[in-house]
Parts: sequence; C-alpha cells; structure tokens
Amino acid sequence: MSPYMLLLTCTSLLLGTTLTLASNHWLTAWMGLEINTLAMIPLMTYPNHSRSTESAIKYFLTQATASMMMMFAIIQNAWATNQWTLTQMSNNTASILMTLTLAIKLGLAPFHFWVPEVTQGIPLLSGMILLTWQKVAPVSIMYQISPSLNMKILTTLAILSTLTGGWGGLNQTHLRKILAYSSISHMGWTIIIMPINPNLALLNLFIYIIITTTIFLTLNLAQVTKIKSLANLWNKSTPMTMIIMITLMSLGSLPPLTGFMPKWLILQELVNNNNIATATLMAMSTLLNLFFYMRIIYTSTLTMFPTTNNSKLQWMYAQTKKTTMIPPLTVISSMLLPLTPLCLTLFQM
Amino acid sequence: MDMVMMVYLFSFLLVISFVAFASKPSPVYGGLSLVVSGGLGCAIVVSLGSTFLGLIMFLVIFGGMLVVFGYTAAMSTEEYPESWVSNTVALGMLLFVLLLKLIWYFVLDKVEVATVIGLFDVVGNSYVSQDCGGVSLLYGCGGWILMFLGWILFMTICVVLEIVRGCD
Repeated sequence: MSPYMLLLTCTSLLLGTTLTLASNHWLTAWMGLEINTLAMIPLMTYPNHSRSTESAIKYFLTQATASMMMMFAIIQNAWATNQWTLTQMSNNTASILMTLTLAIKLGLAPFHFWVPEVTQGIPLLSGMILLTWQKVAPVSIMYQISPSLNMKILTTLAILSTLTGGWGGLNQTHLRKILAYSSISHMGWTIIIMPINPNLALLNLFIYIIITTTIFLTLNLAQVTKIKSLANLWNKSTPMTMIIMITLMSLGSLPPLTGFMPKWLILQELVNNNNIATATLMAMSTLLNLFFYMRIIYTSTLTMFPTTNNSKLQWMYAQTKKTTMIPPLTVISSMLLPLTPLCLTLFQM
Repeated sequence: MDMVMMVYLFSFLLVISFVAFASKPSPVYGGLSLVVSGGLGCAIVVSLGSTFLGLIMFLVIFGGMLVVFGYTAAMSTEEYPESWVSNTVALGMLLFVLLLKLIWYFVLDKVEVATVIGLFDVVGNSYVSQDCGGVSLLYGCGGWILMFLGWILFMTICVVLEIVRGCD
C-alpha cells in the first residue's frame, strides 16, 4: 500500500470512531460508522490476495446492510419524534431496528456468520483492528441509547452469542477463526450487561480489547495462523509461549488474571438483579471457550513439534519486528485484578 | 387529488420494479430495473413537492453514478445476458409477486394508502421548496457536516481505486 493511502485509511479509522464517540446527532454518528467501514477495507485487502478481497467484500456487504438498516431506524425515529438527538431513541420500532443493526455491526449471534469468515481471510494485524477498534463505535452508540434498547432482544442475542462463540470455536484449527469466535462470545458478555449496568459493559470491552491486542501482536511476531504452527513458537521466541499461555488463560477468565474481573462483576450484577439462570448459562458456555484456549496453550506451551528442529534457533538473534508493546500489554492483560476497585471507579462516570 | 393518484401509480410501479430486480435477472437487466426504480422513487419525491431534491437525486445518483458505473460495469460482463423470460427468473418473479400479494393481504386492514397530509395544502397543491431550505441549511450552519461528507466521498474513491488497482 502506498504510504499516502495508509495515512488516509489510518486517519479515517481514527476519525470515524472519534466522530461517532463525539457526536450527539444521529447523522454524524452514522457517518462515523460509515467512515470506519470504508477505511477498514483497504487495510483488509492490503496483501492483494483473492482470500482477503473476498473477506473485504463480505465485510462490506454486511456492514452496508447494517448501515442501511441503521439509517432506516434513524429516519423512523426522526419521523416519529421530530428530533435527531442520539440519546432520545424513544420510538419502539426504531429502537428494535437499532438493536438489531448494532447486533449485526458487532457480530452478535444470529448475525455472527461474517465475523469468522472475514477474520479468517485477512492479515493478523487487520484482524486485530477488526476485532478490537471496530467494536468501539457500535458499543459506544449502544452505551448511549442503552435505556431505550429492547431488553428481551438484547438478552437473547447475548446468550446466543456466548453459546455460539463457545460452540463454534470447538473444532477450529485456525487461530484467527478461534479468536473470531472468542470475539463473538465476549461481545455476548458485553451485551448481556448493557441494559443493567452499561459501565460494566464498557469495562468488559476495554479489557477484551487489551487481551486480544496482546494475543494478536504475539501471533503477528511469529506470523502463525494455525494451532499446528504454534508448536514451533519456542524457536522463534521462547518467552512468547509463556505470554500466549498467560494471556489466553486471562481471555478464558481464570481467577487470578485480568480477564476474570469483568466476568466476576457481570455475574455479580446479574445475580443481584435476579438473573441467576442467565448468569449460570453465561458462565457455563464460557467454559467451552476455555476448552479451546486450553488446546492452543497445550500446543504452544506444553508440547514441541514432533520432529527434530530443522531451522536455525531464531531466539538468539535480535527480532526484526518491534516487540515494544507486548510486555506492557501482557502485564495489563494478566495482572489487573488487584486493581478492580480502580477500574470500577474509572468506568463509573 | 390528481397528485395523490400520481403518487399511488408511481408507488405501484416502484414495487413492480423492485420485483423486477429482486428476481435476479442478469446484472444488465438488474441494473436497468434498478435505474427505473430509482427514477420512480425520484418521481415520487418530486410529486410530493421536493422538486429540487428529486431532480438532484435523478441527475447525480442515477444519471451519473448508477448508469455510468453500475450499468456499464454490468454491460461489460456478459455477452448474452439472462432476461426476465428465462425460466428461473420468471419463477422468481412469480414467487415475489405471490409474496407481495400475501403481505398486501395481511397488512391491508392496517395500512391505508399513505399520503402525507402535511405536504399538501387544502386544495391539494403541494408546498414548494422545503428541500431548498434544507440545502441552504446544509451550506450554512451545517458546513462542517458538508466537509465530513466530502471527506467520505474522497475516501470512497481512494478506497475503490486502491482495491481495483491490483498488485503493485
């Protein structure tokens, strides 16, 4: 990609999300989402390959449909209530349509099919942007209109998402697909708490973004996209095997690690609101996620590739890729649990 | 009531042209019916009084973008395109018309033939140039929005060029 094009797309990615976050008017919020979608496409097709082009087309078609539905909901709301303020989604039809639209944008369960398909075909770093940064704008809109969203639909979407996120990833051998299913499952966790306590949803998204960024950066260092190739990771960089193990445990929300914090708080909030069955179902279906994270951990950390090593030992030499971001991100994504009160205070705006 | 009848006729033709491209003929005819449906949509908008908006939509979107980009691109793909007389497409049209009938049957009691009362005065003439007011607002206090919209269009052309450029 030419540097000018890269500059244009990256600036627009930042501009789109910022526009959505800063806007109080539905039109500008919608424009921000559109800018985000368009700016993402060249990043997806960058190594010009038919698989990545296919992914970009799938992404574009899904997002265009979602944008069209969103515009329809906005116009319906403006028609019925005579105003365009973002927080005033008081029309019932518009609110239901908006819930479904944001579900498509976030890849929640009945509309989740594009997420694994798109993530599978694009490069690792584009996948990282797709699964992290692209979630910020829709979640922020959902956060702002959370009192007027339809709670039954949201809860159904959320439970279905955690179930499909856990179930779909079970038999996958490709890391990007596994991370896509993990994203679906985590979006389910974000959405289940949205009508009850939106600040916790933001906290959950924040921690999910940090952990996923760590994993994608680690995988990008070794350029692995299959579980099988992870068995040679020790040869590329031995500490990375430990980092992947800890980060995946955290993503699977095991207690002493960061990932446990949002799950803990969400489960507590659900139980406090008498949603005990929902809480149980969510916790059980996340165990499926933990199972396929364990398979990655087993291959990357606990075993070696069953042949003699044919390549040079690369860990002895200086890395050509920058690893500056990986250690701090690993620390944040594994050791934040004692700082739970601080995080809670940060997100209780 | 003359205008109301016009709008009713245009709406009917609009639905028919939706059936025409939803039944998936070859892209050439699909593009053609898309252009026709777009033109009918503009005609509805014009009939309801927003003459400026309808004209701009027709000239820029359908005249420029849809015909030049979509239609010519579709023309270049096939030598013997599949039209509506093909078996599968005809079956598709039949199914869609049946679906329309069903929907019409179910919503018949609930939906009246919609006319926007606010757009007509007592003798049935429409108020003129509400849309011109909107345009002047867009160029006046909505200038920043216009800049963002321009940025989106610029970005879109860059993205399209970047994608179709191929390997470097």
